[in-house]
Amino acid sequence: MNPLELDVRELNFYYGETHALKNINLPVYRHSVTALIGPSGCGKTTLLRCFNRMHDLYHGNRYSGEIIFNGRNILSDDIDLIDLRSRIGMVFQKPTPFPMSIFDNIAYGLKLRGIKKRSDLSERVERALKHAALWEEVKDKLNESAYALSGGQQQRLVIARALAVEPEVLLFDEPTSALDPISTAKIEELAVKLKDEVTIIIVTHNMQQAARISDWTGFLMLGELIEIDRTDKIFTSPSEKLTEDYITGRFG
Amino acid sequence: MNIERKRRITNLVALALSSLAAMVGLFWLVFILGDVIVHGIRGLNLSLFLEDPVPPGIEGGGLRNAFVGQVLITLAATLIGVPVGVLGGTFLAEYARGKKLSRVISILSDIMVSVPSIVVGTFVYAIMVKPLGHFNGWAGAVALAIIMIPVVLRTTEDMLTMVPWTLREAAFALGAPYYKVIIQVVYRGAATGILTGVLLSIARVAGETAPLLFTSFNNSFFSWDMSEPVASLTVTIFQYAMGPYESWHLQAWAASLVITLFILLITLAGRFILKWRFGR
Repeated sequence: MNPLELDVRELNFYYGETHALKNINLPVYRHSVTALIGPSGCGKTTLLRCFNRMHDLYHGNRYSGEIIFNGRNILSDDIDLIDLRSRIGMVFQKPTPFPMSIFDNIAYGLKLRGIKKRSDLSERVERALKHAALWEEVKDKLNESAYALSGGQQQRLVIARALAVEPEVLLFDEPTSALDPISTAKIEELAVKLKDEVTIIIVTHNMQQAARISDWTGFLMLGELIEIDRTDKIFTSPSEKLTEDYITGRFG
Repeated sequence: MNIERKRRITNLVALALSSLAAMVGLFWLVFILGDVIVHGIRGLNLSLFLEDPVPPGIEGGGLRNAFVGQVLITLAATLIGVPVGVLGGTFLAEYARGKKLSRVISILSDIMVSVPSIVVGTFVYAIMVKPLGHFNGWAGAVALAIIMIPVVLRTTEDMLTMVPWTLREAAFALGAPYYKVIIQVVYRGAATGILTGVLLSIARVAGETAPLLFTSFNNSFFSWDMSEPVASLTVTIFQYAMGPYESWHLQAWAASLVITLFILLITLAGRFILKWRFGR
């Protein structure tokens, strides 16, 4: 078994008065894909956004408990969020290319890290685009607007942008819900390939997707983690009745 | 009478009334523009732009001082008004987003947009002309800037609010601090909209007369000095049109044509930019 990348311990999260995550304990293993599934509003996206402290952008949000990453609790106040977010990248539901060229999109995170040399940037941009299986499609139009790409290409561009800064963990928040089946297949293929280098946590509404690409699956409901286990185990013989009911489509 | 017939008649009446209303509006617009063009074109010549005014009653001369003064005042007003407006709009849309303060300032600046410009003129007269003891170009620029600020501020706020929030989150997720997110991502997304707002606000103030009458006033001589009274096209038009000389009237017509075309050009530029960016 791979070593632990992230260890969530007794995590509670509050949106103001709302207790959104209740006592979550979740191990995330290095270089594996962990899927978070559950009915709408169960807290899976909320949990995902704890890993890069996205909740800090809004007032009234509060965490308790710990998420251990590289031996440190990333929920503590003295964590450098800029550093954290460069090591734990995120891909959103809808593609979010910036209003600039394809090249500048990929270079954005690199420039934030102080990499300014053109040759350095070019090399890393190319590597990131190849990584995200987009290089062949865009290599002749790096200076064109990223908005000219299709939805699926934009999503791979965003993945390339996240990969460019060489993160240790990538968070995917329903990355294919806005895409067509072919683009979805490409992204899934990419996720499986990428786990040789990064640890992936993916939130998905699509149980087949979780079954196809993940090694571990966690099932959440009403803010609680009901069960976390090997994906094949969850989908064939879950220990909890609730999980089985959800997976067999009895609710949700 | 059956209901279908009744509807057809109602439709006809509504169509006739609204067409008539549109015609009335258009008629005056065409009349004014046509009049300005017909009269103005006769007064257009090179000396209008290259020569300064001659003493009243003598033929010839031009309005070089007023053209230069107008550009100076408008430019200075833009340099003061645009940064304040853009930064203010940024504050409202980003830092104070969703707060009560933001709503209050938005509403206040909507009110500011419709404050009569002569009120702004007298206000600036009280704070920048009276204490100094004489009219000056800076006061004119400040008066125009005060009129520009709420326009630019509200446009900026609206344009920034239109940039999807997820775009900001994506930049935050790469580790960008807020000021970089705003400058490098949000401003880029809203750039054409803000630029259009700026152009339209310039068009708005370029035709103002009342605030300049109380501030920069007029100057019959050519001057680059903004701390002295500075001539402007609008005030000159006012003065010349009221004057007794035929040559003054002709020059006032020509100046009207030039300033109308200038405002038309700026407005068109604003529209084209919007179309080019959002049309597709």
